[in-house]
Amino acid sequence: MSAGVAVRLAGVEKSYGPVRVLNVPDLELLEGQVVGLVGENGAGKSTLMGILAGTVAADAGEVEIRGVRLSDGQPDHAQQLGVAMVSQEFPLVDKLSVAENLFLNRRPAGAGPLFDRRLVERGAEALLRDLGVRIPVHRLVETLQVPQRQMIELAKALGRDPRVLVLDEPTSALGPVESDVVIRVARDKAARGSCVLFVGHRLDEVRRVADRVLVLRNGELVADLTPAEATEVRLIREMVGRELEQQAAEPPPARDPRTVLEVHGLTAEGLGPIDLRAGAGEIVGVAGLMGSGRSRLLRVLMGAQARLAGEVRLRDRPYAPRDTAEAIAAGVGMVPEDRKLQSLLVDAPVRWNLSLAVLPRLARRTLGLLTPRDDRALAGRLVRDFGVRCRTPEQAIGTLSGGNQQRAVFARWFATEPGLLLLDEPTRGIDVGAKAEIYRLVEEAAARGMAVVVVSSELEELMLLCHRIVVMARGRITGELARGDWSKERIMTAAAGTSMAS
Amino acid sequence: MRGTGVESPPQPASAAEPAPAREVRFWRLAEWLAGTPEAGVVAAVVVIVAVLTAVNPSFVSVDNLQTMGRDLGQFGILAVGESFPMLTGGIDLSPGSITAFSGVFAAWLNVNAHVPAPLVIVIVLLVAASIGLVHGLFVTRLDVPPFVITLVTLVTGQGAALAITHGLPIDNIDPLFNGFVITNVLGFPPPTLLFALICVAVWFFLERTYLGRQLYAVGGNREAARLAGIRSNRRIVLAYVVSATSAGVVGMLVLGRLNVGEPGVAVGWELTAIAAAVIGGVSLFGGSGRVVGVAFGAILLEVINNGLIILHVSPYYQQIVLGAVLAIAITLDRLRARRLARRR
Repeated sequence: MSAGVAVRLAGVEKSYGPVRVLNVPDLELLEGQVVGLVGENGAGKSTLMGILAGTVAADAGEVEIRGVRLSDGQPDHAQQLGVAMVSQEFPLVDKLSVAENLFLNRRPAGAGPLFDRRLVERGAEALLRDLGVRIPVHRLVETLQVPQRQMIELAKALGRDPRVLVLDEPTSALGPVESDVVIRVARDKAARGSCVLFVGHRLDEVRRVADRVLVLRNGELVADLTPAEATEVRLIREMVGRELEQQAAEPPPARDPRTVLEVHGLTAEGLGPIDLRAGAGEIVGVAGLMGSGRSRLLRVLMGAQARLAGEVRLRDRPYAPRDTAEAIAAGVGMVPEDRKLQSLLVDAPVRWNLSLAVLPRLARRTLGLLTPRDDRALAGRLVRDFGVRCRTPEQAIGTLSGGNQQRAVFARWFATEPGLLLLDEPTRGIDVGAKAEIYRLVEEAAARGMAVVVVSSELEELMLLCHRIVVMARGRITGELARGDWSKERIMTAAAGTSMAS
Repeated sequence: MRGTGVESPPQPASAAEPAPAREVRFWRLAEWLAGTPEAGVVAAVVVIVAVLTAVNPSFVSVDNLQTMGRDLGQFGILAVGESFPMLTGGIDLSPGSITAFSGVFAAWLNVNAHVPAPLVIVIVLLVAASIGLVHGLFVTRLDVPPFVITLVTLVTGQGAALAITHGLPIDNIDPLFNGFVITNVLGFPPPTLLFALICVAVWFFLERTYLGRQLYAVGGNREAARLAGIRSNRRIVLAYVVSATSAGVVGMLVLGRLNVGEPGVAVGWELTAIAAAVIGGVSLFGGSGRVVGVAFGAILLEVINNGLIILHVSPYYQQIVLGAVLAIAITLDRLRARRLARRR
């Protein structure tokens, strides 16, 4: 069955400096299969994908795509051989329309040398129809939400009719419904004879989609499993190389009955009216599809987006922040969705990143002055307390791993001693091992008496962490479920927007 | 059909053997230099001063040093002011123009409107500050690119200077202006002392107050700063006010030095200021750079300028040299950034 080999890697190695990040002596991927690839951050997944797509040049070994040797580090050669990759970043041109982006590097069938808008738009519509998504093709990409962009990326890759399709965490930015579309597309492609490499964080999804699951750890392929073998426990064990202890099934009960947050009829652009309550020590989950208004709700509560109407009370006082500074002063903190864009000063020292939200308070005793001693002491304490692994607090935070960066962001907000902590996708882009520690921090926040509102696309995460889950759809709350009362099915039903008796 | 043998070979014990100590020391030095762009500028100043002194000892004569000191007062204060908008990720193209305008406006107030000199200084600085305020509001409220709105002032400022004077210098100004510039204090020209004072004040503000830290944060990541409770807009407005006000100060230093309100001065000085800031390690993308670097960037440019005169190099070549120094500085900056990025 040698005709069926889509990709062959032989003796492929890659090192950055003294660190060998990938070592694959021998690997074949077959046509007509979806191959799942999992591993912790830094396990070598991106490097492996980059080598297949030609964006990374291997130090040794060779790569064959359908029998043809891939010239090292030449993305256009890989593309010519039929490799297409959908990455987590979206190299889309913001100022062009959806249709123009889809036909950026090729012409629609039957088009002459001149740009034919009608033909392009028709071709784009057909591509999106195949995916089952409805996005007006004349819209500028910059006006679209992240999940819609993700779908356009996918459509763009599919438009090239690839023989080898590499999907790099294609669902990390998507809600359950859109994720299902991606999974269907992957299965579809394989059924039509292509080879699909599906790289994923969500293990259940990888198991569902894949015919074969590969596990990378420290640059080595450590397991090659059938879907039946690839149980969650097994996968995690292979990935982290040790058994991950099972999480406590129940978060500590919220013992403090005091209400911290009370929201009545809150509306903002694309949001509301919303009624919501969160008590001290309570972890309230917010589920919903992308674009359901989850992040928006948090941003409005944080004062980062204007509200139109409604009443919010925080610790029994009226709360209407005009900006984030007032929100922080009132005792609210937020860990935003996109760590790199919304949280970090990437090139600045860890110390600066830690003290960012408490600067005025840190300097209050000293009339606005920042004494190096106080600053260092704070950073040192937070690094220790939150287990941020770094050589020194003076090192740029961009050099840390995702999990450590997130710990630093949590430390930043804990330092402001908020009464209400808002978390937006707190474990996005964090490897399995580090997730457990983030969960521990969330529980710690509740144990310290904060009210925690956590938004997540991962239902398992919410079901693990929360005392209560509210579900949003189209800017409103469509369901509220107490612990023991919920199931994935009920949450999904509410997320789809059909009203339900809670 | 999974015919590929994937086994897990034993883990190689990597990174166990210690690297040679010399290499470690080298990397530590390289790392420190990479994290301290100011070191290169200071070294360049030392080397160039040494070479020029060796070639022509009159380079370090008291007279020449005082001349350089007065020049430095002008370029240096502009550069330090300019670094504020640059730290926020913006740019200010107007300082040269505001310098020219402030000078003749001060002369006009003093001579034509008979306003006493101290009051003139206050008024001119307030006017300069409000020009900066307008820049800041355009940048933050209307989202006008800093390049564009300060370009407007670049053009109109020079125009206003010409309009006030009808193109002719204004003389008979209060001797206070000239006196301040030429009366040396313990051998030091007052503009130099003022420059030093401003450097210390700015260093203190940037490194030792929370507002200064917030300014860096806004330049490093405006959205992250905003979500961390920093009023980013106010910090940006402040940056433009500082830049414009320092240009106002320089305007009066120039007025004092020439002893006439001359509309055609300071053309292109904003570029020298930007060059000094960049050479001193201020990132064009915002968020990093320190006042030590900017000060030495200005000193470097002044030393080179003056050195070329001492060496009798035709003034026509000076701008080429300035351009070359800037090109070298930018290249080194990018190489440094790439090295930092690679270690990540």
